[in-house]
Amino acid sequence: MLKNLKEYHYPGSLDEALSLSDRESRSFFIAGGTALALSDSSRPVELIDVSRLGLDELELDKENGKLTIGATTKIQKVVENKSVQSVLGGFLSESLEEIGSYPVRNAGTLGGSLVRPFPWSDVVPILSVLETEITYYHKGDEKTRELSKLYESDFRGTLNRSIIEGVSISLPEGLNTAAKFKKFSRSEFDVAALNLACKLSVEGNNISEARLSIGARPMIGERVTDLEDNLVGEKLTEKVAEDAAVFAADAADLGGDNKLSKEYRKQLVKKMAEEALMDIKKEVANES
Amino acid sequence: MKVEFELNGEVKEFDVDSGEILLDLLRDEGCKSVKRGCETGDCGACMVLVDGRAMTSCTLFAAQADGKEVRTVEGLEDELAEQLKESLLEAGAVQCGFCIPGVLISAYSLLSRNEEPTKGEIKAALDGNLCRCTGYVKQIEAIKETADSIGGSSNGQK
Repeated sequence: MLKNLKEYHYPGSLDEALSLSDRESRSFFIAGGTALALSDSSRPVELIDVSRLGLDELELDKENGKLTIGATTKIQKVVENKSVQSVLGGFLSESLEEIGSYPVRNAGTLGGSLVRPFPWSDVVPILSVLETEITYYHKGDEKTRELSKLYESDFRGTLNRSIIEGVSISLPEGLNTAAKFKKFSRSEFDVAALNLACKLSVEGNNISEARLSIGARPMIGERVTDLEDNLVGEKLTEKVAEDAAVFAADAADLGGDNKLSKEYRKQLVKKMAEEALMDIKKEVANES
Repeated sequence: MKVEFELNGEVKEFDVDSGEILLDLLRDEGCKSVKRGCETGDCGACMVLVDGRAMTSCTLFAAQADGKEVRTVEGLEDELAEQLKESLLEAGAVQCGFCIPGVLISAYSLLSRNEEPTKGEIKAALDGNLCRCTGYVKQIEAIKETADSIGGSSNGQK
């Protein structure tokens, strides 16, 4: 319960929403509301509902190889979208379906998961391994950043008093590409104690592009770029997958918390990375 | 503040506090099928349909319902709902009964969009509902029975 909440606004435009936000420093944007409704913070005094700004469009532009998803699109709507289901062998829809439960995904929005992501966010590693750009509106200007780079920087500062408009995902063209998502949690719909996403492109017999991101480390998702660089040029064999998994476990910045110890996370990364790489190996072998 | 939405088929205006949770408003309005359980979005006892989608009303502000259509079990009176209620009772899926309105909403939402769900799809649809009595077996059977019955009647096989 937000004890000090006094106002709830329904702005009709991005500019109106930002002006309301500028007027009251203790105002918060709301879309799905799943996190704010559970909060007992005394800070928010005003809520600014951005769910009526027309930011819920979802479009697959096959010609230009771009998938754009508006920020207030419900996560379950993304999961159910036929175009999304066709992306990377179902990677995006199947991965997003791992988030929470059906009612949580019905209420939660993609943008809401990105503007103030929890450290255990599944969305951040999933979108980080794709060529994802995030577009946000700040002080009258539309700005675009590469998503994985944004979360490696001071994203809270960058997105403060900004409204996320959506994400744009460039789809791999003419490459043999596959991606996998692995999650470890205490129950089917509990938040992740560790999550890992991986995407590889293969040209001929060798890996031409690699991305691997680990979340709930217990910190927010981060790419393991040293591993990505090492994988490029390699042939994807069982031995390479095994070595890469060991490398990932050593290179990732991991920690311990009340869910898992650092050492347990390290062992899990090894297991999950190897599984993801071997699953990808099978998929690209079937495609070629 | 004033919010207006359709509750169980009737458009109504409500005077709510800005931070009021939808669960509280619905119970104050007499919709006692909407149970107060965990209040953290985990147990599904407060499940309602918002624009036809199952959501936990404890994780929504009443203000978010403005302009929408909200349905609780009190407003589910069509053939599908009646069949589900009957199947749940016949299967012995109702024990203490606390979770049942939420289960009913989830099942109704599932069968409204998928007339022939697999057992896996039924389980997935119930993954936001906690039941500490039945172990879900009877509930899953009841939902399957309803799907067979409704599907059977729609293609003349009943």
